[in-house]
Amino acid sequence: MLELHLHALSLADVGLESPAETRERLKERFPRGATRRMTQLGLLVGAALDELAPRPGDAIVYASAFAESRALEGYLDSFPGASPTLFQTSIHPSAVQQTLIGRQHPVGEFFPMTGRAYLVANAIQAAALCTAPRVLLCGGEERGTWLLEHRVASDRTFGFALALGGTRDGALARFSLTETDAAPESFTLPEFLDVLVARRSLSRIAAPGTRLNLEWL
Amino acid sequence: MPLAVAGGRAFDEAAPPNWFPALRELAATIPPDGWGTARRPVFVTSSNFGVGSLYAFRTTGNPAHLAYGTPHACVDWLTHELGWGANVATLSHACVSAHLGLLLATRALQAGLAERALVFSFDFISPFVTGGFNALKILNAGFPAPYSERPTGSIGLGDGAAFAVLTRDHGDFALTAQSLHNEMHHFTANRSDGAGFAACLAPLRSAANGRKLWLKGHGTGTLEAGRLECAALTAAFPDRPIVSWKGSLGHTLGSCGLVELALALESIRSGHAPGTIGGAAPFFPAAISADAFDVSAFDGAVCASNAFGGAHAAFILSHA
Repeated sequence: MLELHLHALSLADVGLESPAETRERLKERFPRGATRRMTQLGLLVGAALDELAPRPGDAIVYASAFAESRALEGYLDSFPGASPTLFQTSIHPSAVQQTLIGRQHPVGEFFPMTGRAYLVANAIQAAALCTAPRVLLCGGEERGTWLLEHRVASDRTFGFALALGGTRDGALARFSLTETDAAPESFTLPEFLDVLVARRSLSRIAAPGTRLNLEWL
Repeated sequence: MPLAVAGGRAFDEAAPPNWFPALRELAATIPPDGWGTARRPVFVTSSNFGVGSLYAFRTTGNPAHLAYGTPHACVDWLTHELGWGANVATLSHACVSAHLGLLLATRALQAGLAERALVFSFDFISPFVTGGFNALKILNAGFPAPYSERPTGSIGLGDGAAFAVLTRDHGDFALTAQSLHNEMHHFTANRSDGAGFAACLAPLRSAANGRKLWLKGHGTGTLEAGRLECAALTAAFPDRPIVSWKGSLGHTLGSCGLVELALALESIRSGHAPGTIGGAAPFFPAAISADAFDVSAFDGAVCASNAFGGAHAAFILSHA
């Protein structure tokens, strides 16, 4: 069995807020001028991470199924004069890099993950396998536009960050992963966000061979 | 610009992607073992997955491309086509992606979550990728000359795919001292003091513990990163021969760590490592091996890769 304790969390489920609205709302939380090129997902993940005050020695696990959908759309639209900024911003873990580069905050272990049906369980397992004393598990999605019309982008915009560690003292909740032979169910990132927002307990076969338990303390 | 595209493959994308036959041919050589079941996890890594299909959709309007355009759709399709179970974790961190799969698979084995693990990595170039690298002014008409001291650097991009089967306690070769470091300094440049390279290599230097290792660097052919990498490798492992193979393979992006692991492994097995293809003197101040060399007197190799965002990854490969 793998076990992790949740010591702090930051959740942002912003509904249909536009990227411009998110940028205006959060601009004071980032260095002056930094938000101009940040994506909506970068702003939300960055703000969530910031609330947990990343420390030297933290490991980071990042989870997103679609990642920078708006930058990807913009980059595809920029051809034939491909945009260098949108290309680099569209790369998978850019949401985390936008913030940590802005803060000049180096990280040892950084595991950017993707997937869909079993992404949550896979990301929590990756966090449990990190050797750092504290792991920041973060992620989110941003609502697409023309990619969403074709169902290849998220229909929700949200960001989250969890501070996870091995000690129970002062923890808000406990995650555990146990082995099982039962058939898995899909458990996606938006469903995970809803569980966290509602502070619901959970016991679910969230990946093949893996039961994910969440118990609030 | 130099592009190393798999033989016979058209550059513009088809649906299903025209790189799939090459991938299926490779996958057919994986020893069958119930991959993707509970105790046989698969770790799929890529930088681009099927994103070339989104470019094809945007260009042609053909919705058939959309089925391969997102990482999860691409991996779900591959999983089905290759006959794997659903126990698949997917990682994407640009050109260190394969290293992350190797490290996470190693940890899963060490934690007793798996008896064997398959790490599968691929990246196939497309107009999406080359357009981006070209826009960043990283590509030009020159061929890559890794670690060469010359006025202008050049890189070549290449298709790449590879796999590794990892076990906990048996096998002919071992990966030890796997290390990661992320500078978070700049999206496309490294810290000018080389601290990121040094931070990644430090644990390997300790783990080497006097063993005699040769060094397989990242060596894409860009000047500044090449210079910094040479300095860091030389500081950590003085006088050990350094090679890069991207002048021959091209830079195979997210798969490069695994593609080059396969070559390093075969080098150790055969006793001979390829030299720095494309590179020519004058080199940066380091023990660059331009020609093939005998590795039989060495105890193993350091294999290193770097990526956008100042990401660094490395491990030691040796006989078990």
